[in-house]
Amino acid sequence: MSSHVGPSGEPVPTSSVLMASSKHIGSRCHSENVAFLKCKKKDPNPEKCLDNGREVTRCVLGLLKDIHQKCTKQMDDYVGCMYYYTNEFDMCRKEQEAFEKACPLE
Amino acid sequence: MTEAMIRKKPGMASVKDMPLLQDGPPPGGFAPVRYARRIPNTGPSAMAIFLAAFGAFSWGMYQVGQGNKVRRALKEEKYAARRAILPVLQAEEDERFVKEWKKYLEYEAEVMKDVPGWKVGENVYHSGRWVPPASGELRPEVW
Repeated sequence: MSSHVGPSGEPVPTSSVLMASSKHIGSRCHSENVAFLKCKKKDPNPEKCLDNGREVTRCVLGLLKDIHQKCTKQMDDYVGCMYYYTNEFDMCRKEQEAFEKACPLE
Repeated sequence: MTEAMIRKKPGMASVKDMPLLQDGPPPGGFAPVRYARRIPNTGPSAMAIFLAAFGAFSWGMYQVGQGNKVRRALKEEKYAARRAILPVLQAEEDERFVKEWKKYLEYEAEVMKDVPGWKVGENVYHSGRWVPPASGELRPEVW
């Protein structure tokens, strides 16, 4: 995939980028996600949960930028593979291993 | 020539006394031909066959179970990924929605500003819960 990186060098949160980094998002932005979901459960009105939403977006976009800077090539390969195979995890095991070795989950 | 002239026997009174010309068995007869059934009673017993079939079936079902475990793990991975990215997507959609909703409320206020009974910019159901707008007006390019 030619450009999942925007003009400023940050990764654009397309579906393949998000699915590729989903495990990292799940572990590192867990608290923000849970807070947002709790707010939504209490009141599904979008205007009431804008702050939580902004926290989530900030966390995820920052995380994407961070990972992209740390392991650029592995992330590019993995995102490219995900884009080619429409987010099928099973088809990209090799790239996934290389990506998780370079940028370990925590 | 007629048959009588070829197969003549001296002293023959009529054609009925001609020597026979038949196609018959060779001297001593033919060799004996076996036509009796000989189905042997050897091989696996009924219990052995049943156990083999039952064994094959159970091994197959076990493999099915293992395969299902693998497939469930793959599905779980996909669902976990979706659960992880759901809040980002919802947050972005919320931002977009709030912007569009504010524009829509302003439009509604401007359109209805001369109507006397039109109280607020927003009037929906009275249950107190948030109900997403159902008019389809906010995403005209989608609907």
